[in-house]
Amino acid sequence: MGALERIGEWLDERTGWRGALREATEHPVAGGPSWASAMAAAVAACFGVLALTGVALMTTYEPSPQSAWASVFYVQFVQDRGWIVRGLHHWAAQGLVALAALQVVHGAWAGGYRKPREVAWWLTLLLVALAVGEGITGGLLPWDQRGWWARVVEGNILGLAPAVGGWLQRMMQGGPELGAIGLARAYTMHVALLPVAIALVLAARRRLARRAGWGGGAATGPWAQQVARSVLVALFVVVAVFAATGWTRGAPLDAPADPMSDYPARPEWFLLTLFELRKLCHGAGELWGTTLAPLAVAGYLALLPWIDRAGRPRALTVKLPLAAIVAGALALAVLPLRKDARDARYAKQRAGADALAAAAVKLAMQGVPPEGALAMMRHDPELRGEALFEQHCASCHVLGDAGDARKATAAKLDGWGTPGWIAAMIHDPDAPQFFGRGPYAEEMPSVDVRPAKKPADEPWSPTIASEAEKRAVAMFLAAQGDEPGDPPRAVDAATRALGEKIVSERCTTCHLYGGQGDDDGSGIAPELRGYGSVAWTRAQVADPATARTYRDQALDPKRKKHMPRFDGDLSAADVDLVARWTRAHARGVPLR
Amino acid sequence: MADDDRTDRRRALRVLAVAGGVVGCGALAVPTARFLLSPARGGASAGRWIPAGRLDALREGEPKRVALVADRRDAWTLEKQVELGAVWLLREGDAVRAWSATCPHLGCAVGLSPSGPGFYCPCHDSAFDAAGRRLSGPSPRDLDSLDTRVQDGVVLVDFRRFRQGTAGKDPVG
Repeated sequence: MGALERIGEWLDERTGWRGALREATEHPVAGGPSWASAMAAAVAACFGVLALTGVALMTTYEPSPQSAWASVFYVQFVQDRGWIVRGLHHWAAQGLVALAALQVVHGAWAGGYRKPREVAWWLTLLLVALAVGEGITGGLLPWDQRGWWARVVEGNILGLAPAVGGWLQRMMQGGPELGAIGLARAYTMHVALLPVAIALVLAARRRLARRAGWGGGAATGPWAQQVARSVLVALFVVVAVFAATGWTRGAPLDAPADPMSDYPARPEWFLLTLFELRKLCHGAGELWGTTLAPLAVAGYLALLPWIDRAGRPRALTVKLPLAAIVAGALALAVLPLRKDARDARYAKQRAGADALAAAAVKLAMQGVPPEGALAMMRHDPELRGEALFEQHCASCHVLGDAGDARKATAAKLDGWGTPGWIAAMIHDPDAPQFFGRGPYAEEMPSVDVRPAKKPADEPWSPTIASEAEKRAVAMFLAAQGDEPGDPPRAVDAATRALGEKIVSERCTTCHLYGGQGDDDGSGIAPELRGYGSVAWTRAQVADPATARTYRDQALDPKRKKHMPRFDGDLSAADVDLVARWTRAHARGVPLR
Repeated sequence: MADDDRTDRRRALRVLAVAGGVVGCGALAVPTARFLLSPARGGASAGRWIPAGRLDALREGEPKRVALVADRRDAWTLEKQVELGAVWLLREGDAVRAWSATCPHLGCAVGLSPSGPGFYCPCHDSAFDAAGRRLSGPSPRDLDSLDTRVQDGVVLVDFRRFRQGTAGKDPVG
């Protein structure tokens, strides 16, 4: 007798573990081995993967609104093999919901609810509900846009329940809004209450199956065959979960939850049927379509043991309704997917959300501040600058994707201050992309085109006629906006001198250059020294009427659609940021 | 006599065990339940006047989405001057109309309609006209209008939240 055997013997004498093991693995299976009972093994395999990877994830995850997204980001993108663990968890969760639902469909079709298996049947129905509950609570934990918005909507759906709705909603959300306590509650349910309940259901189902079998198979045979089938199916499930994880490189992670954003919320796939029902049924039909119909389906399934009675045609009482339910649920789930696939607006919003998610990951790679991932996004100059431009500038200006060229009333800023922009502008200042649709339309004459309104007998000569002069002016003015750190500009001294000479002699009839000029005192044309620089842009955003850019006429109420001052609306830091962002994106130089 | 004695003692022990169990479990359950139920206490929101930018930044007939910045408390966290919620502002002369940007149906963010004037919720396709009135989709009521006033050229909004999904406009905490 080897040492190991002696230890085993010693333990068996005191614990009886050999008998327990035999009982667990060699107990005869009632009804004989069947693929139906192997499906239970597939469910158990999913649960096993979830428990193992779930505990592993708990060792890194931190459930707070400040840390949740950052810790999930860390798991997915930084921690060694983190994406595998998270991906396995994600895909095993999809598998658990799908397989539990499949068991219900199979059980209903094959009569697995018949005496004496009613209780096991109800436990299977309960399992689907618990698995969906795990999916819903788990979806919130990353605290990303996808999960957060879906839960906000579901919280409000909960709030619609008669009498107790508002109370239930506050219980789940941890208050009137989804916040820190709501996240902690979802976490508690996800890692403690629901998994324990699922484990109990699985154990109880197994005990009941020992008594009466899983149903659906009548053949008798040795138990060993069942173990082989179960192991085979469980292995297949694990391989499939690994394959899905490798294929998707883990699990998706959207940008950090932002309650201020426009996010086209969509639920998990297993809730798509209910989602579509909610869109289709409203008004008087809402309660029927979104609450009573799903409840009726659940009630029908739970009552199958009494609905399916000897003497009633089973095709009518079970098979036809079941086929209708499955077909209806699938059709309703596919409908919103197809609709979104064809919806250009949704595609645009989704693309924006994906771009934001990528930007968030890129930023987080440099470290997330203790105030959290959303604060990280809010303080990032690139993202914040874009948001400020969108909110405050894009209703009049166009720059890149921001603004609507059809509605713009101010200059299109792509290329603003570059030689090409200046050369085109001084040739045709009233073009729609320059000043033609704004408050300064018809104020600036072209440097080389005779004004259409000028009577034919009046003498006229171009301000700047030759291409070389125009080029010199464009290069010189563009260089006014150059900042240290911008790509170097190749302008030879002669061109620069020619440009400065023309600007200071010919443009100052109306413009200021270094505070001098505006010979006829019109008070309209802007300062050209430093035109397009950070200081110039910042001064213009803060207050266009200081003579550092434009002058007091700039805010004249008679000058319709003039640019407002922003130093009252925006903090000095935001004025500076939006100026630097706009200048950098207009000129195509790095933001610094 | 001895048998009766034993039965009495058993009964007494059973009563004691049950009563003790009830008292013990109750002593544990009451504070635990109160603890768990504490966030469920609701109340109407007080509303507060929050600045929403300068009047001259708004243009007639052009709705503008504005983020309201104020202090925000979430359980133990107090965030100073963060974006609290969004509203849609529409200038009408020297007055401003305001609507909460939260969809009265189920709380998604309401955007501008892709087709023509008005508002639209991307979650369940509720549509509203330019005056916030319900046009189509599942929303049970019009967009939630908010009170505004203009003071020294600055628009102030009385920011409140309302219960979602109900036909009536019930304020929530």
